[in-house]
Amino acid sequence: MSYRKQPKLLGARVRRVEDPRFLMGKARYIEDIELPGMIDAAFVRSPFAHAEILSVDVSEALAVPGVIAALHGQDLSGRVKPTVCDAISDGWQSSEFPALAIDRVRYAGEAVAVIAADNRYLAEDGAALVDVDYEPLTPLASVEAAQEPTAPLLHKGWKGNYFYRDRHAGGDPDLAFSNADGVLEIELATRRHGGIPMEGRGCIAVYDPIERVLTLWSSTQIPHLIRSELANCLGLPENRVRVIAPDVGGGFGPKSHLNPEEVAACVLAMDTRRPVRWIEDRREHMLACFHSREHYHKARVAYSEEGEVLALSAEVTVDCGAYSVYPWTAALDPGMSLFIMPGPYRIRNFRCETLAVATNKCPYGAYRGVARSANCLTIERAMDAVADALGMDPVEVRKRNLIRDEEFPYTSVSGFVYDDTSLIESLDKVCAEADYEGMRERQRLAREKGRLLGIGVVTFIEQTAPAVDEGVPINFRYDSALVRLDPSGSATVQLGTHSHGQGHETTIAQIVADQLTIPLDQIRILYGDTQQTAQGIGTFASRTAVVAGGAAHIASGQVRDMLAERGAHLMEAAAEDVELVDGRVTVRGSGTRGLSVAEVARATYYHPELFPFGWSPLLEAAGTFDAGHGTYANASQIVLVEVDPETGAVEILEYHIVEDCGRMINPTIVEGQIHGGVAQGIGGAFFEELIYDEQGQLLTTSFMDYLIPGPTELPDFRISHLETPSPTSPNGIKGVGEGGAVAPYAIMAAAVQDAIRPIGNVFVNELPLTPERVLGFVDRAAGRTDREARRSG
Amino acid sequence: MKPAAFAYCAPRTLEEAISLLDEHGYDAKLLAGGQSLVPLMNLRLARPTVLVDINRVDGLAFVESGDEVVRIGAMTRHHTVATSSEIRGASPLLSHAAGHIGYRAIRHRGTLGGSLAHADPASELPCVAVTQSATVRVTGSAGERTIRADELFLAEMTTTLAPDEIVTSVAIPRIRPDEGWGFREFVRKVGDFAVVMAAALLRVADGRVASARLGLGGAEGTPRRVTEAEQALVGSVLGAETIEKAARVAAEAVEPTSDIHGSADYRRRLVHAMTRRALQDALGRLEAGHG
Repeated sequence: MSYRKQPKLLGARVRRVEDPRFLMGKARYIEDIELPGMIDAAFVRSPFAHAEILSVDVSEALAVPGVIAALHGQDLSGRVKPTVCDAISDGWQSSEFPALAIDRVRYAGEAVAVIAADNRYLAEDGAALVDVDYEPLTPLASVEAAQEPTAPLLHKGWKGNYFYRDRHAGGDPDLAFSNADGVLEIELATRRHGGIPMEGRGCIAVYDPIERVLTLWSSTQIPHLIRSELANCLGLPENRVRVIAPDVGGGFGPKSHLNPEEVAACVLAMDTRRPVRWIEDRREHMLACFHSREHYHKARVAYSEEGEVLALSAEVTVDCGAYSVYPWTAALDPGMSLFIMPGPYRIRNFRCETLAVATNKCPYGAYRGVARSANCLTIERAMDAVADALGMDPVEVRKRNLIRDEEFPYTSVSGFVYDDTSLIESLDKVCAEADYEGMRERQRLAREKGRLLGIGVVTFIEQTAPAVDEGVPINFRYDSALVRLDPSGSATVQLGTHSHGQGHETTIAQIVADQLTIPLDQIRILYGDTQQTAQGIGTFASRTAVVAGGAAHIASGQVRDMLAERGAHLMEAAAEDVELVDGRVTVRGSGTRGLSVAEVARATYYHPELFPFGWSPLLEAAGTFDAGHGTYANASQIVLVEVDPETGAVEILEYHIVEDCGRMINPTIVEGQIHGGVAQGIGGAFFEELIYDEQGQLLTTSFMDYLIPGPTELPDFRISHLETPSPTSPNGIKGVGEGGAVAPYAIMAAAVQDAIRPIGNVFVNELPLTPERVLGFVDRAAGRTDREARRSG
Repeated sequence: MKPAAFAYCAPRTLEEAISLLDEHGYDAKLLAGGQSLVPLMNLRLARPTVLVDINRVDGLAFVESGDEVVRIGAMTRHHTVATSSEIRGASPLLSHAAGHIGYRAIRHRGTLGGSLAHADPASELPCVAVTQSATVRVTGSAGERTIRADELFLAEMTTTLAPDEIVTSVAIPRIRPDEGWGFREFVRKVGDFAVVMAAALLRVADGRVASARLGLGGAEGTPRRVTEAEQALVGSVLGAETIEKAARVAAEAVEPTSDIHGSADYRRRLVHAMTRRALQDALGRLEAGHG
């Protein structure tokens, strides 16, 4: 049998079917859900970064009219298991993360107690009256402080303040360094920031004592993984735990964790037998929604006179905060760095040592482009440094090192097998789109007038929909889809993933529509409720289009085959002679109109007597897709910026992007993903920084102090596409969700450095590039000391 | 982020509002636009037990053009200050600065009187009020008095207003046709609080600067005029060199504050740059023949 689609929706700029409810304010987020008898929770959070808890007294809080219940760490001890999320590695040290701190707090903002009351106002009144007696301990507010020999140990039984240390080596770096024409050393730092979704975290916990079912509504990207760990912590079988993620107002990684607050809310719900709602406010979000991005890298680079990078040796230190979080562990960023740092380049000798330091800061979690932005910064800045050392153009040095087309599939020095990408083509194309030569000429003319224009160039490769077979507690290789055709011929698709801005209600429907040849509006995509879907993993790591899209393609293909088989039987034709065209099963070449999908479906469900005994009357199939070790997307970007040497302000004049995420399901949605990713990357490059003082107090707890870019801070994105199909995924799809966020750190550092070159040479190595930091680089370029800089003011 | 309990009063007259303030003293707070007070209450950094909402008090939102000054009611919204042709005609400097306040939604709520009474050092209107020697009319239980803008601000978020006094209007001197003005501020992102701002007002007669006003905001705990730089300008021939000199004097004269948005050293450099640019703008406007 065969099938045809008119028109083919894969690749079409279909309008997002989910948009009307979002644009009309009709989406249903956690806070929009009203349940009878619902009460609100507010948490008491530690004011100290590091302290012993001597006692907790909730009696005054409980005396507030309207306060219904209170819990603190001791109440949960022995009743609720702490989260233990261990990486599997010889260099790992285990630790416990309790839902409410029991005898010790390890970061300012850690939940110590929780109050439930008739409303959030009263809950906050009660929380303010909880009396906690703390004995402050030495705060370890930086990787340096945590590694002092005299530093107190943060967790029981530890040998030093680190979660994880590991190393990886490939080739013969020592030999390559000794034979190199040149060796350079660089140090880089990206400061702590986070994903900052517009909707903060939140949940509603409900316990049904008759059914003995605990339901957690959570603003999460990973309902199934939450269910598993929640059941584990609470000692419940998973068939008595239901997790529902409704509309989620931005995920970006920060919502891909089990939150201790959610566990506490569940206990409150079980104790009070009332629905318990917790809606995070922005201050809590800044203090306690897991942070990201705090990397410190040192790298040595060996190169030849021709500009070829011969070896890379790196030390990666990540400030992972106080606890290892579920499900990623504290090895998430440092572990990934061991393998991804060489990036798109033909580097055959590589050594990397990595260290996940534990400090008295908020725990460290996932954020769009996990570890990639910092590693892209290091390898791209290394390329720029080699170019500068040899007086080469940054584009040229990249071309000499990029993996060439004929080398694919290419096994990297760290063991990744990169499948087809368009590295050199993307770089050529972005140079053409940006008129790179012309841009250099414009830069030269502007410099003659005293203006500081700078150009940055970046190329990267990104493992999307990745799997990790070793070292992790949960390997997320696959995801699932259930496709069910009903008697009217419309389809329901239940996904194991979630959609929180990615438009999967549109893109997955496009895939299914092509298989079943029915109109888009006859396809309904469901997700987010563990009671409604097959076991799945969730939406993160640029994976859903690949794995859920793959699963939906496979499952809907099976349903299509069932339809064709049953249609053929009804028409007394051989199955191989029928085709599915525009929603009809027809006999090829017969000229008859055949039977509609609805007619075949109705007959299948309601007239089983028409079919041979034993044929299933269910037109449904479950599919999973395992992307193996993932698909490899790539991109090249060029920016033009202007630096104001008096204020340190940087203006982005042009931003050119050529990306290749394989076959695009919907180019408009791909571009939207790039816009959002680059915007967040620009945030990390220029604005966003979670600043702790030496006492471990977070100084940036509101949007007055923690700045995120808005439309006025973003340039026009000039995007063009290449489509190199993935050889592994159905339809050749690769992931695109994170790519935009990977490059801005590296590209902006390069562009700012290039802009201030007329003042002098300086290596821009620290982000975010706040105006004051930029002026610091300007001063160093000018050879000014701090004191001279002050005087020049 | 929910406020602690408070009583809410919405008086209809100024007398009623003053008597509520008189009765409750420091426990009461006036609610005008609420753009600063409400977030502070939500964070429980401000915990007034009585909120006196003066949005229903008549006669506090007006614009009155006089020969010497334009008088603006305290409850006039920033958006009106930024867009009213009467205000723009009297002080384009004030209108221009008001357009830099926050975002459009904030400008539609926030008020001139509220901004002055709140005394945030990074606010635009206090800086312009001081630069132009505006006078602020206030009414309290002891009666009405007028305060010079530079005598209103004591320290960061602190004014010389008594707890029972309400700002009722502000008189801004008209900018003369022979005066040139400039306003520059440095923000890390559009609509955000300024790190440093400079307002300049210059008059040139017979080729020399006859009078100079230079105000700074954001640099120190209160906005202020930099008389050292003004004196450096008066009597000089206005040009790049004299402007640069005045900017340098201003940078040396300030004792900047330091916070996560900028160290004192950085603010000093911004004072230099913003002052020069504001003065250049003033010169440009003088040369273009419109103040």
